[in-house]
Amino acid sequence: MPTGRSVLRGAVVGQKRHVGGASLLASAHQGGEALVPVIIGLVIDQAVTTGAADALLRWLAVLAAVFIALSFSYRFASRAAERASEQAAHRLRLDVTERVLDPRGGTEAGRLPGALVNIATGDAKRVGAVNGVLPFAVAGLAGLLVSAVALLRISVPLGLLVLLGTPPLLWLTHVVGRPLERRSGVEQERVAHASGVAADLVSGLRVLKGIGAEAAAVARYRRTSRDSLAATLRAARAHAGHDGAILALTGIFIALVALVGANLAASGDITVGQLVAAVGLAQFLLTPFQIFAWVNGQIAQGRASAERIASVLAAAPAVVPGSATLPAPAAGRIRLRGVTHGSLRGLDLDVAAGELLGVVTTDPAAATQLLECLGREADPAEGSVELDGIPLPELALDDLRGAVLVAAHDADLFEGSLLDNVVAGAARANVDRALVASAADEVAETLPQGTRTVLAERGRSLSGGQRQRVALARALAANPPVLAVHDPTTAVDAVTEARIAGELREIRQGRTTILVTTSPALLAVTDRVVLLGGGTVSAEGTHAELVHADEDYRTAVLT
Amino acid sequence: MSERELLPTATGKRTRAAVRELLRPRRALALGGLTVLIGATAVGLLTAPLLGHIVDLVAGGSSSFTLPVLALAGVAVVRGAANAWGLSLISRLGEGMLADLRERFVERALGLPLERIEHAGSGDLTSRVTSDVAVIAKSVREALPELGRSVLTIVLTLGALAILDWRFLLAALLAAPIQLHTVRWYVRRAIPLYAAQRVAGGALQHQLLDTVGGARTVRAFRLSAEHVERGRRRSQEAVDLSLRGIRLMTRFFSRLNLAEFVGLSAVLAAGFWLVGAGAATIGVATAAALYFHSLFNPINAALALVDDALAATASLARLVGVADLPGEREPERPAAPVDSSVKAAAVGHAYVPGHDVLRDVDLEISGAERVALVGASGAGKTTLAKLIAGIHRPARGSIVLGGVGLDELGPAGTRRTVALISQEVHVFAGTLADDLRLSSPEATDAELRAALDRVGALHWVDALPTGLSTVVGEGAHRLTVTQAQQLALVRLVLADPPIAILDEATAEAGSAGARVLEVAAGRALEGRTGLVVAHRLTQAAAADRVVVLDAGRVVETGTHEELVARGGRYATLWAAWSDTRHSPS
Repeated sequence: MPTGRSVLRGAVVGQKRHVGGASLLASAHQGGEALVPVIIGLVIDQAVTTGAADALLRWLAVLAAVFIALSFSYRFASRAAERASEQAAHRLRLDVTERVLDPRGGTEAGRLPGALVNIATGDAKRVGAVNGVLPFAVAGLAGLLVSAVALLRISVPLGLLVLLGTPPLLWLTHVVGRPLERRSGVEQERVAHASGVAADLVSGLRVLKGIGAEAAAVARYRRTSRDSLAATLRAARAHAGHDGAILALTGIFIALVALVGANLAASGDITVGQLVAAVGLAQFLLTPFQIFAWVNGQIAQGRASAERIASVLAAAPAVVPGSATLPAPAAGRIRLRGVTHGSLRGLDLDVAAGELLGVVTTDPAAATQLLECLGREADPAEGSVELDGIPLPELALDDLRGAVLVAAHDADLFEGSLLDNVVAGAARANVDRALVASAADEVAETLPQGTRTVLAERGRSLSGGQRQRVALARALAANPPVLAVHDPTTAVDAVTEARIAGELREIRQGRTTILVTTSPALLAVTDRVVLLGGGTVSAEGTHAELVHADEDYRTAVLT
Repeated sequence: MSERELLPTATGKRTRAAVRELLRPRRALALGGLTVLIGATAVGLLTAPLLGHIVDLVAGGSSSFTLPVLALAGVAVVRGAANAWGLSLISRLGEGMLADLRERFVERALGLPLERIEHAGSGDLTSRVTSDVAVIAKSVREALPELGRSVLTIVLTLGALAILDWRFLLAALLAAPIQLHTVRWYVRRAIPLYAAQRVAGGALQHQLLDTVGGARTVRAFRLSAEHVERGRRRSQEAVDLSLRGIRLMTRFFSRLNLAEFVGLSAVLAAGFWLVGAGAATIGVATAAALYFHSLFNPINAALALVDDALAATASLARLVGVADLPGEREPERPAAPVDSSVKAAAVGHAYVPGHDVLRDVDLEISGAERVALVGASGAGKTTLAKLIAGIHRPARGSIVLGGVGLDELGPAGTRRTVALISQEVHVFAGTLADDLRLSSPEATDAELRAALDRVGALHWVDALPTGLSTVVGEGAHRLTVTQAQQLALVRLVLADPPIAILDEATAEAGSAGARVLEVAAGRALEGRTGLVVAHRLTQAAAADRVVVLDAGRVVETGTHEELVARGGRYATLWAAWSDTRHSPS
C-alpha cells in the first residue's frame, strides 16, 4: 500500500544515480564559488600589495581554472538534477494515470476529474522537483564546509564569529518572513480565485449573452479583481518589508565582521587580503543557508504532493476482479437475483440470450444503479448478477467488459477523428454498419472532412444530439455479446430517433441488448419491457401491452 | 474548416501606448517608486568604498574603525528601509496597472459578439484571461522588481567604478560584449523552445483531462492501455523539451561565467597596474574588485529575466489586442419596444458564403403567443433562434422585436427584450444566489425563492446543504443536468424579458429530466412571447402554433391539429412519434 513517504522515497531512489551525480557536481560548483572571494583576497595580498606581476599571473590562472571547474560542474549538475526531477515526475504521472484507468476503478470517488489531473501533473511535478533540489542542498552543505575551513584557517575567532553568527541571523530573517508565508498563501488563493472567476465567466459566455447578463458579470469580475488586488498588495508590502529586513540584517552583520576583522588586521593577526576574503566569505555564507530554507520548502511541498499521489494510488478498488474466463463466444444470458443497490430493492431480472429488452425506470437513479451493477462498476450490497450462469465477481474484468458493454448516457468522446472514436477497439467491418444504424453517418456528412474530421476534446465541437449518435455508433461497432444502452437518443430529433430504433433492432439481431430508456420509439422495437418501480420489477410485457394496461407505465413513457 | 481566425494581438507600438495610458494616471507613483529605489541602491553602493576605507585604515596602521563601521551599519539600515519602501511603491504601480488592464479585458471580452468568439474558439479567450494574465502577474510580481533593482544596481555600480577610477570601468566593460552576445544567442533559441514547452504542457494537460475525465468510458471500452500510451507519449514530449530547456540554460550560464572571469581578471589586473603606478590605493583596488564581484548576481539575474520579460510582453500584446477592441455601439436614441411581438421577414443566413442555412424565412409571432419550431437536425432551427435573439446578424432580411428593428433597439435594448436559453448549460462558480443574481443583480432572496418556486426548483434548493448560499459550479457542489437547466430557466424568470427563446433546453437531461423541464419551461414562459425549439413533439403539441423548418425554409405553419390534419411533413413526424404512443401495434 503506497504511502506519501514511500512515494517520495521511491521517486528519489528511482533516480539515485542522477541525484548522486548531481550532488557531487553541485558541491564542486559551490566550492568553486566559495573560492572566488578567497582568490580575490590572495591577489590583493600577493600581487596588488607587493606589485609582483608573476604572482598576479599565477593567481589569475588559478582563477581561470576555478571558473572552468565551477562552470562545468554547474552545467552538468543542473542537467542531471533536471533529468532526475523530470523522469521521476514522468513515472509518477504514468502511475497515477494507470491507476485511474485501472479496470477496478475506485479513484474517482470524491474527486473531480480536474483534481485528478492536477495530481497527475502538478503534484507529480512537485514530487519530482525534490530530486531537482536535493543536489543543491548537498552542495550548500559542501559550500558551507569549504567556507568554514577557509575562514577558520584565516582566523579562528573571526571564523567562529561568522559561523556562529550566521544561523541566528537566518533564524531572525525566518521570523521576519513568517507572516509573509501566511499572506502569500492568502494572496495565491485570491489570485487563483480571480483567474477562476474570469475563466468561468468566459466559458459561460453563451449563457450570459442569452440572458443579457454581461454587465452584471463584468461588475462581479471587477469586485473579485479588486479583492485580489488588495490581497496582492498586502502580500507585496510584506514581501518588500521582508526583503528590506534581510538586507539591513545582513549589512549589519557584515559591518560586525568588518569591525572584528579590521581589529585583527590592525593587530597583525591577519593580513589585509585575509580581511577582504573574510568579508567576502561572510557574504557568500548566506547563500547556502538560503538554499537550505528553499530546499526545505520544496521538500515540504513535495511531501504534501506525495501524500495526494499516494491517496490515489492506494484508493480502494470499486470492485475486486475474479479470475474465471468466459467461453468464447459468450451466449449473453443475464440473471439478477435479489439485487439491492442504491434504490434497487431485491431486484430479480432475467434476460435471455439474444433478447432485446426494454427497461423503464420511474426513478432515474435506479437506471444508473442497474447499469453500474451490469458493467460491474460497483457490486450490489446484496444479491447476485450472473452472466451465462457465472456470477460477475468470479469473472476476470477484462473478460467481463469484453462481453458486457454498458454505454452510459453521459459517455465521453475523445480527442481524435470521428472515425477513431467509433473504431475504439472494434473490428473495422462493424464500423460502417454501426455508423448507419446510429445515424452517425448523417453527422459525418455535415462535418467538413466527414468521418475523418477531428473532434475537439470530449467531442465538444458537436451538438448534444450529434455526440449521442457518435457515442451510440461506438457502442454498436464494439458489437459485444451483451450491450446495455442508456437513453441513447434524448437529444436526437423524432424522425432520426425512429430510424435509429428500427436499425438498432436489426443490427443487434441475435445478441442480447438492454435498452434503458423511456423513449416510446425505442421501446416499441423491443421484445419485452420491464418497468422498475419501487426498486423492483413492477410490470412486465410488450410495449403495446404495457401502454394499454399499466397506468404507471403510461405516465413514465407517454407524458 | 479554414484556419481559425484568432482574436487580435496588439502591435508593439500599440502595446507600448497602452502601457503609457495605464501609466499616465500613476505618474507620481512611478516617479516616487523609481526615486526611492535609486536612492536605496545608491546608498547600498557605499558599502564597498567603506570596506575599502577600512582596508586603507588598516594598511595605514590606524586602529580606530568605529566611525566607518557605524557608517556601514547605517548604510545597511537605510538601504533596507528604502528598498522595502521603493518595492512596495513599485508593486502598487504594477499591480494597479495590471488590475485595470485585466478588468478592461474581461469587459471587452464579454462584450464581444459571439460570432467573433466562435470563429476564434473560446479556448483563445480563456487562455488569454488565465495564462496570459498569470504570466504578466508573475512578471509584475517577481521579474519587474528584480529586473529594476538589478539594472539600477548594475548602472550605479558601474558609475561607482568610474568614480573610483575610469580605468576600472573600462576593465569591467570588457565583460559586456560577451554578455550581450550571450543574451542574443540565448533569446534566439529560448523563445521558440519555451513556446514549444508551453504547447507540450498544454497538450499533456489536455490529454490527461480527456483521459481522466472519460475514465469510465475508457474502462467500459477497455481502452486503458491505449490511453495510458497516449498520456505517456505526451508526457515524454514534455520531459524531452524540458531537458532541452535546461541544456540551453546551462550553456547560457556557462557563457556568463566566462564573462565574469574576463571582467574580474581585468579589474584585478587594472588594480594591480594602478596601485603599481601609484594611481590608486590598495583600498580602492579592493573596492573595485568587491564591486565587480557583487555585480555577478544582479547581472545574471537581469540577463536571465530577459526571456520572462519577452514572454510578458507577448502576453501583454494579447491582452491589449482584445482590450482595445471597440465596445458595442449603441444607437444614439435607442427605441423601446412597443409590444412583445416577433417578426422575421425574408430572413436568410449563411455561416459560410454559398452554404445557406436559412432561406426566405418569414415568421410572425404575436404577443404572448407560444410557437414551437420543429424540424430534423440541421434544418436551421438553432440558427433562426440565434438570429431572433440578436446573437447573429441575419445575412439577408430583417428581424423586428416588439415593433422595433434590432438596429434601433441597440444591443442593450435587445438584451432587455429577448432572452435565449440554449442547450448549453453552465453553472457559474460561486453561491447559488450569486449565480441567479447575474440575471437580476438587485433581486432579494425572497424574489430568488419565488423564481425558484415558479419553475419547481425550490424544493431541491432548500434541500441543499446551505440552501441559496450553497457553493455550486466547477469544483464545488455538483448539480444534475436537470437542476442546472432548471437554473437557466430561473435566470430567465429573473431577467423577465417580454420575449424568450428556448433552444433544446430539455435535450440533454435524459427522458425523466426532460419531463420535469418541460413543465418548468412552461411555467417560465407564462406571460411571455415564446419560441420553443422542440425535439420532443409533446412540446410542439402544447404550443399555440407549430412552425416546421426543412432545409432552411419554413415548410408548414399552423396549430398542431391543423398540421396533423393536413397530412404533410409535420403529420409524418407526429406519426413517427405518436404511433408508438397511442396505437401500439
